[in-house]
Amino acid sequence: MANLVDELVLLAVEDDGRISHTAGTNAFRLALIGAALIDLSFRGRLDADLHNIRVMSVEKTGVPPLDLVIGRLSLGQAQSCESTVLSLYEVSDTLVRLTLQSLIDQGILGRTEKQLFWVFNERRYPVVYGVEQTEAKVRILTTLRGDQLPTPHDTVLIGLARTGGLLEGFMSDAEINRLTDRLNLVGGVDLIARGVEMAIYADNLSRAQTLMFMG
Amino acid sequence: MSISSENLSGTVVARPRGRIDYEASTGFQKDLELLVTQARESGSALLVSCAEVSYVSSAGLRAFLVIARAAKSAGVEFAVCALGPTVQDVFEVSGFSRLIRVLEKESDLRA
Repeated sequence: MANLVDELVLLAVEDDGRISHTAGTNAFRLALIGAALIDLSFRGRLDADLHNIRVMSVEKTGVPPLDLVIGRLSLGQAQSCESTVLSLYEVSDTLVRLTLQSLIDQGILGRTEKQLFWVFNERRYPVVYGVEQTEAKVRILTTLRGDQLPTPHDTVLIGLARTGGLLEGFMSDAEINRLTDRLNLVGGVDLIARGVEMAIYADNLSRAQTLMFMG
Repeated sequence: MSISSENLSGTVVARPRGRIDYEASTGFQKDLELLVTQARESGSALLVSCAEVSYVSSAGLRAFLVIARAAKSAGVEFAVCALGPTVQDVFEVSGFSRLIRVLEKESDLRA
């Protein structure tokens, strides 16, 4: 099953294999770090409450992008989610690179000399253990257009795709506006995802203040 | 973390006690899944009374979401009630309290 880090990066890969310009934004990078932290929490390496992320185990997962992040955390560390996300920003380039390689290794993406491509010539994941996971865009749209409660994985995926600026890549402004209430309802129902939103807000604020002083 | 439950005139009331963190969340989820089945089979609603829950972490919140989904797909009316201030903050900050029905007290389900 594709994890959150995989799916956020895949949302930044266009249908023709080009990498969306969104992947270069700070918001995307911070959302990706948040995805890695949440993937680690799904695997029992950390947990969070309103105040802190608590690292419970630094045992490697065998998933290179996640092991990059777990390698930067200390056992017993308790730090606010916002600070944790911001402090990991420096590994975001490596995180993207390792995730793309992992997606190639999983047979979801391929790479020519010049660019990436979808192995099945469409946005599809390989069947794993007899199960085909529906691709992220389809799941996001199905959840937003329907009335079902999202899974814990999908509520975070929707929230991080929104804060990372990825929804605009496959939804029109009109549709995003029409579905704003539903997005607010089902997106990012998770304490770490909320911390990521705060980190992105703090980062934007800090950059805006820097620009004001420079101007 | 422990859970007691009883069936009160068409409502299965679950009363977890203690902390619902990563360590407790799997057991909590399994116990509540059984109560969803019990509620479906008896045509009852499922109410989780959190008066004695002292702490809910991110992992605990996910367990609540899994249970809410299971109840919805089983056609079981689902609500939580009697949230203490700490748990209420977690539900509100995460947005979970907008996603499910949150009642002040047990008797509000049929009010």
